[in-house]
Amino acid sequence: MKLSIILLLISCLRVSANTYSQKLNLTLKNASFSQAFSAIEQKTRFRILYSDDLLPENTVNVEVRNEPLTNVLNHILYGSNLTYKVLDNKVIVISRTDAKFQAKTISGTVTDTSGNPLSGVSVMVKGTSKGTVTNAAGVYSIDVPDNNVTLVFVYVGYTIQEIPVNGDTVDVSLIPLEAAAGNDVVVTALGIKRSERDLTYSTQQIGGDELTRVKHTNLINSLNGKVAGLTINANGSGVGGSSKVVLRGSKSLLGNNQALYVIDGIPMNNNTTNQPSTGFGGTTSYDGGDPISNLNPDDIESITVLKGASASALYGGAGGNGVILITTKSGKNGKTQINFSSGATLNKIAYKPDFQNSYGQSLTTDGKGIDSTSIYSWGNPTSNSQDNLSQFFQTGNDFTNSISLSSGSKIAQSYFSYANTTSRGIEPGNKLQRNNFNFKEIGHFLNDKLTVDVNTNYITQNIDNSPNAGFYFNPLTGLYLFPRGRNIAQYKSMYEVPDVATGVPVQNWFDITPENDGSLQFGDDIQQNPWWIINRNTNALQRNRLILNAIVKYDFSSWFNLQARGSIDRINDIYDQKLYATTNPVVSGSNGKYYYSNGVSTQKYGDLIGNFNFSINNSVKITGLVGTSINDSKTVGRFYGSSGSVGLYYPNVFTLQNTITDPATTQDMPENHLQVQSVFASANIAYKDELYLDVTGRNDWSSSLSNTKDGYSFFYPSIGANALLNKIFKMPQSISLAKVRASYAEVGLAPLPYQSNPPIATIGSGGNASLNNTSPATALAPQKTKSWEIGTQWRFLGDRLGLDFTYYNTNTRNQTIQINQSVPTFYGNGYVIAGNIRNRGVELTINYDLISSSDFKWNTAVNYSFNQNKVLELAPGITQSILTGSGNGAQYVSMVKVGGSLGDIYGNVLQKDAQGRILIDSVSKSPIPTSADTSLLGNPNPKWQLGWNNNFTYKNFSLSFLVDGQFGGKVMSVTQQVMDGYGVSAITGAARSAGGVKINGAYQNGTPVTSVDAEKWYTTVGNRNGVAGEYMYSATVVRLREISLGYSLPIKSSVIKALKFSVIGSNLVYFYKKAPFDPGLTMSTGNGFSGVDIFMPPATRNFGLSLNATF
Amino acid sequence: MKYMINNSKFCSGFLIAALLIFINFGCTKNFEKYNTSNLSVSVDMASAFKHIMMAPVNFSGGGDPNSYQVQQNLSADAFSGYHMCAHFGAPNNMTYALNPGWNGEMFKVGYLDGMRYVSLIKNMGVDTKYPAAWAVAQIMQIECMHRVTDYYGPIPYSHAGPLENGQTGSVYDSQQDVYNEFFLQLDTIVTNLKAFISSGQKLPFDFSTMDLIYGNNPSNEFQNWLSYANSLRLRLAIRISNVDPATAKIQGEKALDPNNGGVLTDNSQIVQVQIPAGNFSNPLVAIAKNWVQTNIGASIQCYMTGYKDPRIGKYMDTCSNVAKYGKYRGIRVGTNPQPNESAYSGYSTINFKDGATPSFNLQTPVVLMTTAEVYFLRAEAALRNWSNAGGTADQLYEQGVQTSFNQWNAGSATTYLNDNTSVPDAYNDPLDAGNNASSPSSITVKWDDNASNEQKLERIITQKWIANFPEGMEGWTEFRRTGYPKLFPVVINSSGGTINTAVQIRRIPFSQDEYTLNNAEVIKAIQLLSTPADNGGTRLWWDTGKPNF
Repeated sequence: MKLSIILLLISCLRVSANTYSQKLNLTLKNASFSQAFSAIEQKTRFRILYSDDLLPENTVNVEVRNEPLTNVLNHILYGSNLTYKVLDNKVIVISRTDAKFQAKTISGTVTDTSGNPLSGVSVMVKGTSKGTVTNAAGVYSIDVPDNNVTLVFVYVGYTIQEIPVNGDTVDVSLIPLEAAAGNDVVVTALGIKRSERDLTYSTQQIGGDELTRVKHTNLINSLNGKVAGLTINANGSGVGGSSKVVLRGSKSLLGNNQALYVIDGIPMNNNTTNQPSTGFGGTTSYDGGDPISNLNPDDIESITVLKGASASALYGGAGGNGVILITTKSGKNGKTQINFSSGATLNKIAYKPDFQNSYGQSLTTDGKGIDSTSIYSWGNPTSNSQDNLSQFFQTGNDFTNSISLSSGSKIAQSYFSYANTTSRGIEPGNKLQRNNFNFKEIGHFLNDKLTVDVNTNYITQNIDNSPNAGFYFNPLTGLYLFPRGRNIAQYKSMYEVPDVATGVPVQNWFDITPENDGSLQFGDDIQQNPWWIINRNTNALQRNRLILNAIVKYDFSSWFNLQARGSIDRINDIYDQKLYATTNPVVSGSNGKYYYSNGVSTQKYGDLIGNFNFSINNSVKITGLVGTSINDSKTVGRFYGSSGSVGLYYPNVFTLQNTITDPATTQDMPENHLQVQSVFASANIAYKDELYLDVTGRNDWSSSLSNTKDGYSFFYPSIGANALLNKIFKMPQSISLAKVRASYAEVGLAPLPYQSNPPIATIGSGGNASLNNTSPATALAPQKTKSWEIGTQWRFLGDRLGLDFTYYNTNTRNQTIQINQSVPTFYGNGYVIAGNIRNRGVELTINYDLISSSDFKWNTAVNYSFNQNKVLELAPGITQSILTGSGNGAQYVSMVKVGGSLGDIYGNVLQKDAQGRILIDSVSKSPIPTSADTSLLGNPNPKWQLGWNNNFTYKNFSLSFLVDGQFGGKVMSVTQQVMDGYGVSAITGAARSAGGVKINGAYQNGTPVTSVDAEKWYTTVGNRNGVAGEYMYSATVVRLREISLGYSLPIKSSVIKALKFSVIGSNLVYFYKKAPFDPGLTMSTGNGFSGVDIFMPPATRNFGLSLNATF
Repeated sequence: MKYMINNSKFCSGFLIAALLIFINFGCTKNFEKYNTSNLSVSVDMASAFKHIMMAPVNFSGGGDPNSYQVQQNLSADAFSGYHMCAHFGAPNNMTYALNPGWNGEMFKVGYLDGMRYVSLIKNMGVDTKYPAAWAVAQIMQIECMHRVTDYYGPIPYSHAGPLENGQTGSVYDSQQDVYNEFFLQLDTIVTNLKAFISSGQKLPFDFSTMDLIYGNNPSNEFQNWLSYANSLRLRLAIRISNVDPATAKIQGEKALDPNNGGVLTDNSQIVQVQIPAGNFSNPLVAIAKNWVQTNIGASIQCYMTGYKDPRIGKYMDTCSNVAKYGKYRGIRVGTNPQPNESAYSGYSTINFKDGATPSFNLQTPVVLMTTAEVYFLRAEAALRNWSNAGGTADQLYEQGVQTSFNQWNAGSATTYLNDNTSVPDAYNDPLDAGNNASSPSSITVKWDDNASNEQKLERIITQKWIANFPEGMEGWTEFRRTGYPKLFPVVINSSGGTINTAVQIRRIPFSQDEYTLNNAEVIKAIQLLSTPADNGGTRLWWDTGKPNF
């Protein structure tokens, strides 16, 4: 044994600043302590004094670079029973004298305040550089020398917590730095969590409770009014209907404009389902329900909205419309919980059309009496008018019950949920049944290095009698147009009557008259008995959907991991429609008609991503990824019996054997197979947590670009930067965050399948092949959206007040524009690549915790957005592109012209003279419409939107309400127009009572006209072929979107952990609405039919109760 | 803990990136397959022949008769006085507010359903391999395209098809050039058919299965096509008899020359397109029966009720309410149907319901040319002193009427042909007296050898018009050429002064799409019109507006 001098001069012991400034590099493998000490002596000017017999037997590994000596010593001595003192240039290694000393392992779970595990939290022993990070389940374990240490928990966006060790377990709940969004960790592209503070682009996060507070059968409608820059229009198709969800304005003429949904990092199958394509409605013109509406809102942890292209460049073309990221719930380590939630909502129609009650059914032509088969109400005064609508509409309801069970250990976490939704619509017979099963399992293997996460969703949904908008199969046409002064009750109780000859029941409606030969003559093609429609023109949509996601991730080291993900999202839709004999022959065969379709839409997605993060020095940190992905979507399916009036062999037997089939009516669906393969990379460079730079690049190879001259491949980059001014500059205490950001992004979007290679011919009726009228577009190229945005985010008063402002500008070029071709060239149409559509606007959100005392809290938030959409260019020589063509049941065309906006409504107007007076024909005494549908009538998109959300809590009570408004824009009501033409609307009654319609008009010869006969006026401007220009209304609508009052029962039970009751309401009050329908509804979530109401069911007011219990 | 970059780690990062990229390449070999529609096929010869036969009165698409409705039913069929639609309100096409969305359809059908399929047949090599079959295709092209030129006037014909190098748009030919091209093509057609028939050869495939017109009579199939070709030449020759009498006479006599194979003489030879298997239907019947969107026109009703024409019960149904509307009642062209829209559908329709065996059902063949028409063409040829007419004008006139009676199983026409007192009825509209009109003509049925040529022609054309029912295109075209029969004018004229109510509509404006898609050429085409005004009031080349003799 070697003796050494030990000097103990405690009183003189001072830690020299010099010691700590002494930095060294040291790499040792399996070195003994003495080897380690001598290595240090060689690299520093310090001498290390120690007693040989104190040194432990074990060896140490060291790999440090530019570290202070103390850290190196701490590292080496860590876990041993040694400590050290520093005296001048000497280090004295001594034995710990603490009897309680005992090296031990501490473990625990780190969660956020709502109990969700936080992964990647760094856990350090205070005063040392020894540390670890939590795994995906938020679990860590760390060896500490003794019980006298303090653990430090550091996670971006959360307050740093120091917790003295006391026992073997330290569970921590980290508190976000700010209550408001500022420093929230947000989920960004590909599921990567980042602090919102670091982001170079605009996002908005909505917590799960915001989604479930006031539940909607389509959960995405819960976002309405809450996100700046997001416009949601629900399809007016009753329960289970889809929604049009557009971020920062529509960008594409022919392509999809809907936001992309991404669930846990994996793009969802968002194939646009069937949507009404004609104002007539008809067999195939139904709303198929969008994929997002199938999800169970209770399974959702949070939703992040990535508004611009910058955020979504990593998702490829589909992300160019913005991305809605959905994070689902998982099981939690050490926490077993059962959550039960139940809601019941009643829905009542929010408004009714106004009817006149003074004039009855039109007279026979000789004027001697009422013509009982007349479809018009231009007859004599009557006092018999009744409220027909209350005979028909019912109170709708939604019952949602869901239960979730979650539990977990360090190595495995499970989450299971089941939800049942039962709804009935406001139209009798309209029902929805949905069952959601969700099972998610996360397992950790190989010392937490390998994480496997499997998530299964199975959804069954049945929707019966989804209301068809448009004229046909719509009970509302007959209901609204029913002649005034007559009793509709007889047609409700007897919507069919037995036919004496055949015994087959026959539709009973006032305008149906038997002919001499026994056949039926219908007075009107657009109406039938409403109860006949709901009972004898039934439809049913069955959906079975399976979503399977699996993620395998392996941490090669703490700076690099590799993850592989795979997903399959398979939606099977079966739709059938049964039309009984004596349905209007315009839409059915004489023996009835059976339409059946069965389609499966499958999306397969897989990716492989390497994530890395490292520091170049103390100031510069780089995180990033490289990856590749493949996304393959395809539809297979068939339908039978779709075409017009082809029907059945035998009446009312709804089987395929009984269906008259033909290639025109019996078809395989186009597969629309699209495969996109991609490689991408992204890097985020942070400088001193003050400046951030994001760079991404992506290259796609798309199958839909085959057969084009430029090939499959295309590349697009993005770049963004932000600066935290409050860190760079000294700012007043009241400013807790001052950030400016800017980004630029390009996104390429491949054209739709087959556009570059349309079928040469297809098999048509009788097995004859017919040539396709579309010419192949070999010049197709991907649509390119180039966008930039600048924004700033500020927080004041200890984060109580926050403000976020963004200005963006998006140009979408290389649009695929369908053009007509001069037919002597033997093609009817084709595609060109051209165009430039600009969206630009601002978004502003302000968030303020007005009162934040312990008992009473009031948080208020305002979001504002403004978007201007302008078509800057179309193709050379092309001045317009039609989205919804003429001949759609009304004098209406949706078309795009240079200088106009997407969604512009064109139609005919009244002719006026040079002085602007309405021209009245001197012979017919009627106004004179222009013949062409070419006058710009308006655009239904709001100019700006405002949402105001308030949350109050007082002790156990909570109250929240949301008021939102859409301002500007114009919508068209064909419902009103047809009702006017038929003489059933209030305005026609008032005009008759007033002796005519008061106008500023003139005959062709210039003689002024001040009044026009009401019937002449309204039969000219009203009706389907009337004057569209007279039926435009302000689309401005301000409403009380949501309100809820909740009470949490103070529970002391050991079984029930929490219990909350709420009273909820939605769409309760329209503070402002001038249109005769809710402009927030749309007939189609596609690109056409925006802002046009053709007998859509009214919007509803909804009231309900909800219960939430946690066990 | 901080980790340092070192070269090996950097390299491994890039290696992985490179690997990922590598995985990606070489996987695009299926892209073309993915981007090819599973529904795509190529067109076979049978489909092409059937298509072109179904195109002139277009039902080639199967399913609903949308195309035919706007191609013809809402224009020519109404302007011919045969049919009238009591829907779509007013103003519309039928009140002369010409709807561009409707009136481009004839143009579209001509090229996309007509000429394109003929061109496809040529691309299959049929023109060289099977000249007789090629002749059939060309006959159908002429049948299809003469309707197009008779609708608009100048049309692209010699230069139709994919644009050649340096061409920026399809060039329009004057109507005279189009007709001359028809005659030249008919020369080839007749030569080919004659050669084929005289050779006694057979085609190496069964042409009758793709022949919707004469396929049901395979033994006389090509002889009938030859008669049809000659009859078509006669129709076109008569059409230009006023504007270009010399060419008309040459072509007419060529058509009538027995050495060329003869014209249609027997009702078994009627040019009618059988409705093939599948979801095809006679489009007129489908509109009348399934859609309840076309009724009988006032003119045909007043002529037939006035003449007590025995064919009337074969042509039309009685009104749904005889007590109220009378036994037969048509709707006057250019009526504002509102507010009587539904009531008007109770007026007479084509005969698809009453009677033991209605004349029309969804499978009733679509008639393109009747044998009776050919007799009337010959009657006019005789009147114009063309050789080989095969009879005197009065003989051929009477044969025409009797042939038509035979076609409709209406018995002997003797009584009818001897009626020298009955004249067309005045029109009364029980729903709207504002539509009433006095009898349009004093012409009777019985032939009068002492009458003027003009009166004789009116008699011939009036009876031809009755015999040609229900195909409105030829009815309206011959009305425009000759002024006969005298038809009720529109009640409402919404043309804004471009169409004279009394003179009636003369043509349909060029397809609106051509103004955006082929502007330079359509502007030049306007100069080829009789007056450079692209509206419904401008007369076509063969429409001289002068006396017929």
